[in-house]
Amino acid sequence: MRAAFPYLGRGSWLARRDPRVPLVAGAAFVIGVVQLRDARHLAIVFVLALGYYLAAGIPWKAVRLQWGYLLFVIFLFSLFNMLISGGRSGSFADADTHVLVTIPPFGAEISAEGISLMLSQMLRFACIAAVSFPVAFAIAPGDLGVALRRLGLGDRIAVMIDLTIRFIPTLANEFAETVDAQRVRGYDPTARRGGPITRLRRMAPVFVPVTVGSIAGAEDTIDAMDLRGFGVGPRTWHRQLRYDAVDRILIGGFVLFALTALALGISGNSRHYLLPFLVNG
Amino acid sequence: MTTMTMDESDGTWSITTRVIVYAAIGAALYAVFNFLSFGFVIPGTQEVSVRPHYGLLTFFGFAFGPVVGFLTGLVGNIVGDFLSGYGAFTSWHWSLANGVAGLLAGLIGVWAAGRATSTGSRALWAAVAGVIATVVGFIVIFLGLVVTPEMSFNAILTTEYLPVILSNSIAAAIVTPILVFAWEPLREQLGR
Repeated sequence: MRAAFPYLGRGSWLARRDPRVPLVAGAAFVIGVVQLRDARHLAIVFVLALGYYLAAGIPWKAVRLQWGYLLFVIFLFSLFNMLISGGRSGSFADADTHVLVTIPPFGAEISAEGISLMLSQMLRFACIAAVSFPVAFAIAPGDLGVALRRLGLGDRIAVMIDLTIRFIPTLANEFAETVDAQRVRGYDPTARRGGPITRLRRMAPVFVPVTVGSIAGAEDTIDAMDLRGFGVGPRTWHRQLRYDAVDRILIGGFVLFALTALALGISGNSRHYLLPFLVNG
Repeated sequence: MTTMTMDESDGTWSITTRVIVYAAIGAALYAVFNFLSFGFVIPGTQEVSVRPHYGLLTFFGFAFGPVVGFLTGLVGNIVGDFLSGYGAFTSWHWSLANGVAGLLAGLIGVWAAGRATSTGSRALWAAVAGVIATVVGFIVIFLGLVVTPEMSFNAILTTEYLPVILSNSIAAAIVTPILVFAWEPLREQLGR
């Protein structure tokens, strides 16, 4: 069972950057993009985000299912929001809406404002996803802990995140072995009969051994770390990180974007854009 | 062989080696089960999908404290989103909500520690802690009003908050006590 971080962007231009760059870029980007409401602004930002995503060199075949799932979920939530709000949210909260279709039997309205809001919402999520994917696939798994430490996170939390990533393949294998062992004892993991409570309780033969076994095994890890003096003083890391000029320019660009977007948002210059072709006769 | 200074106290908020390792295991388990995505839809609904592994989060908080609970929820959800390709930043407020739910379960666990004298009463407290932590902790997802300004309050309430607290409360109320019953004998054996 494959549950681990595939380093899909290995060797790409973005993967050769300091591992802190995708993290800082992602955070600055999210801060900025949530300030933008105008679909035209978001469309421009999406093109830039797409360029950044392509720089990570993530093979399309490896992530097309994830993109498909993500876009489908975003579409569903945007659609529900459009139907529930009727387009009366965001910059159109107090506006008279241009109703295009009314859906029986509850009278849910599809309005020009609702479609415009839906487009902004989907563009924003797509932008964030484009910048988030490189964080998952263009940072070497072993670099994540040291990158977070060098960004100011404490030693212990950085080690905790490193340990989490280290434990994932091990626990996934233990889960698979436990399912096989219980199957030999007559457990059917695919059974669908019974109500929610019965089905929850039926998962106990897998959940309990994996969870309790992992916790019991943690005692050895705790002893090993204590015996090596963990937490007694500052932790040293073998991997050394240094920004180069390109890293600084890239981070500077994202910070500038965040500041610009903040300025646009606070000054009210990025209000939701009503798509004109939906209201023009 | 180094000489260690045993100056770490095991207070509720102290970040000891034990807390780090338990949080890492909790987060990894939560992420793996999230990635495996084995949930099921409650009959009669289209949106309410019960995720049994959510009970892990409230168990880790209740059994090991608020710091472990918070890190299990926050890091576990972020890493789970990583693994499934949803992206770490796409729903960061949901990761925060999971963290707050784990933290609250831990706080209730600390409060109940002196009051629950038997395994049965601890399991009952665990179920109650799981439900309360879920209902209160997931209020954080209303940050979506800021993150996604197109979302209306009613849309978040009806399509996100109510379905998630219903499904996660069911999982917490059932799975958390089961794990407490399994953990308590081992805890006494280990002397924790």
